[in-house]
Amino acid sequence: MTSMNREDGTTRDELVQRVALMEEMIAEGRKSTVRFGWVFFLWGLIDLAGVVWGELQSDFRWVWPITISAGFVLQFIILALRRKSGHSCGGSVRGRSVAAVWSMMGLTVLLYVVAAIVQHKAGQISYVAAILMFVGMAHAISAMILRWMAQGIVAGVWLAGGVATFFVPRSYVFDVFIAEMCLGMILFGLYAMWLERQSAATEEQTNA
Amino acid sequence: MPELPELDPVIHGKLRLAVLSLLVSVEEADFTWLRDKTGSTDGNLGAQMLKLEEAGYVAMQKRFAGRKPQTLYRMTPLGRKALVKYVSALKELLGGAL
Repeated sequence: MTSMNREDGTTRDELVQRVALMEEMIAEGRKSTVRFGWVFFLWGLIDLAGVVWGELQSDFRWVWPITISAGFVLQFIILALRRKSGHSCGGSVRGRSVAAVWSMMGLTVLLYVVAAIVQHKAGQISYVAAILMFVGMAHAISAMILRWMAQGIVAGVWLAGGVATFFVPRSYVFDVFIAEMCLGMILFGLYAMWLERQSAATEEQTNA
Repeated sequence: MPELPELDPVIHGKLRLAVLSLLVSVEEADFTWLRDKTGSTDGNLGAQMLKLEEAGYVAMQKRFAGRKPQTLYRMTPLGRKALVKYVSALKELLGGAL
């Protein structure tokens, strides 16, 4: 068979069309179907709420474990509501990998914070630095999986913040933490949400 | 003259090929997602999914997401193997075009 018909009537053009169809569908399947921008935005707000609460009740040392646990519960509720609203999708291995990285990062930070508080070591610079590094590492891994430059830059910001805490005067460590929350969580979350909206709008136009 | 490879008729159907190509890159997918991505109708997709299931190329699972029933599909190892074979046959038939 060249450009003529096969015995079963299939032409070369049809075979080429099949190849194009496969390429198109594989690319569709690989498109991220997970909407996660809101998670960063939410955690940015939760962490800022923790900061404010900590400022108001500086003698209450369980502020952060309670804040983080409440964050998990809130995220779980929102996820359940989103599922109920019928967000149908195909779960990709890539999406699950990213979700796994962030879930474990969250759990690690929670255990770390609780252990440090129990042992009265939560005030040390290395304590804050390690948290910033954990988040930076999770962003970096996620950026590598998704091959997403913007998240790579955010990872760099978090890691730089972690390093900076050892070099800036102690009184500025708190400012570094706040800056990371605003830049690396809230702003990044808003940016990711904006991108997701753009992509959804493009998809709708394509399907129309 | 060497014999030309046969193309698996179960996979060769346009919609079935589209579905399998989608399922290659996702772990599992629900019916609605597959329907939207392929632009097919419920009836047509349902019929084609049944053929793929009967061939053992996809596995179906029903569950509830909240109160909504959901039909999930995933590609089986047999389906993956068949698709690889289909692509090899296509390559052979198209020669240097791929």
